[in-house]
Amino acid sequence: MKKYLFLFIASLFLTSAAFAADSQIWDAMRIQNILEYGQDESLKLGPLFTMLQANYFAQAFLAVLVGVPAVFLLHYLVIGPKVFSHDGKKVYTFSIFNRIVHQIAAISFMVLVPTGFIMIFGANFGGGDFVRMMKDLHGLATISFAIVVIPMFLMWIKDMFLHLDDIKWLMIVGGYLSKTKRPVPAGKFNAGQKTWYWLATLGGMIMILTGASMYFLDFNIAMINSLTGLSQIDLLRVAAILHAVVGLAVVALFFVHIYMSVFVIKGAIHSIITGYKEEEEVKYLHSSWYKKLKKDGKL
Amino acid sequence: MSELAKMKFYCDDQRCIECNSCSVACAEAHELPTGVSRRKVITLNEGIFGKEFSTSVACMHCTDAPCEQVCPVDCFYIREDGIVLHDKEICIGCGYCLYACPFGAPQFPRDGAFGTKGAMDKCTMCAGGPEETNSSAERELYGQNRIAEGKVPMCAAMCSTKALLVGDEQEISTIYRKRVASRGKGVQSAPYGWSEEYSKQ
Ligand code: HEM
Ligand code: SF4
Ligand code: SF4
Repeated sequence: MKKYLFLFIASLFLTSAAFAADSQIWDAMRIQNILEYGQDESLKLGPLFTMLQANYFAQAFLAVLVGVPAVFLLHYLVIGPKVFSHDGKKVYTFSIFNRIVHQIAAISFMVLVPTGFIMIFGANFGGGDFVRMMKDLHGLATISFAIVVIPMFLMWIKDMFLHLDDIKWLMIVGGYLSKTKRPVPAGKFNAGQKTWYWLATLGGMIMILTGASMYFLDFNIAMINSLTGLSQIDLLRVAAILHAVVGLAVVALFFVHIYMSVFVIKGAIHSIITGYKEEEEVKYLHSSWYKKLKKDGKL
Repeated sequence: MSELAKMKFYCDDQRCIECNSCSVACAEAHELPTGVSRRKVITLNEGIFGKEFSTSVACMHCTDAPCEQVCPVDCFYIREDGIVLHDKEICIGCGYCLYACPFGAPQFPRDGAFGTKGAMDKCTMCAGGPEETNSSAERELYGQNRIAEGKVPMCAAMCSTKALLVGDEQEISTIYRKRVASRGKGVQSAPYGWSEEYSKQ
């Protein structure tokens, strides 16, 4: 695990050496870059990026920023939170390692998401020094997130594969659409948490790589260039498009994640701080895991 | 020049001899840092007999400029005469204009905090920026403002074969057509970049 982590981080930083040398964008490659623009045989990524960025990305982010919380408010008012007893026994769920890794990722996200939004709506903040500073913070938070993303990916992966419970969970949307307390089919992690896990780790890695390539501009992974046959500028266009599209999904589920842990399941946030979940919460929301723990005599 | 003049560049690739005067003159006139070349001479189809030609590219001051459409902080402004300029004090150096640009014109000196991309730099058609005309602040950030002084942009003034022209697009088109007619031979295709620069009028 350490080896991969090292390789990953090293690959991020080694590429920074590349930008001191000849730029592929303004020197030799400039010809290829501009020749391809809008040509029939090219992918027309330049016009595609221009069209998406000019007409859709900011609007889509605004829709998520306003729409998702609005749905939550409605849900909170109509169905309300799930309250579980906090006086019962506790189930030790998250090790200290789990919690530290999660907290570093959480702090990184709390910086990445608002600063990302500020860049997207940069014009409303008047641009200039303030937005530039937010951009730099966005880059710094990327480093702390990059350090924990692989440990996070590895520490939870064995619990995150698809299970029959997940299909059942999805059919009833985790029981969140009803007020009654009923055991919900789920293991240690439910289908919603699993989706967030995969998006935050794999999607997060996409965000790191696309972000890094926009940061360095000359970010050159020879393998990607030769695999895709894209010129550097087209790779940057792909990076910018992916950063926005995957970013939208990440932001939407990030909001869901916060709503669930802070508002819906009362007190759920304590589990990632102390490591202990309420037994009653486990019994209802992770019923399969509860049965298994019972059977193994771990309660 | 008429009231509705729209300023354009045109590089006649039948005349360009790849001497690089334009790009050197530009870099010197505006005291550009190394690593930034607002204007660049490129040679296409190198070594292919009968097809090789050179041309000079910089920001083409596009009609419906794509860079202006994608900028998240709206720092571009397009002058009455069509010159596309931007405000470096507002620019955050995100790179979007580069991804949108058909000519690879926007460039980023690494002078931000932690060596991040600094404010974008590109050809101003020697028309400076939003600062007070001919002020030292304007000169520091954007280079000379020759347009305000009634002078031709440095690159075109320097061009020894008059391949590189700049001016009202109507007049440029007239000169271009005259040149094609007087050459009177072969099929003359539109100069490189013409369609992107002029198409969306
Ligand atoms: C996993 C999370 C993320 C990571 C690791 C990440 C990383 C990065 C990096 C390294 C950059 C380049 C910064 C620079 O050029 O100085 C960047 C740019 C950007 N990111 Fe993110 N980002 C993430 C999430 C987001 C989210 C959620 C949003 C939107 C809300 C967002 C919006 C942007 C925007 C608008 C840019 C501007 C383009 C640029 O500066 O090159 N990012 N990101
Ligand atoms: S050439 Fe590029 S930078 Fe210049 S106006 Fe066109 S899109 Fe903008
Ligand atoms: S680099 Fe500057 S000018 Fe270009 S799109 Fe970003 S903020 Fe606008």
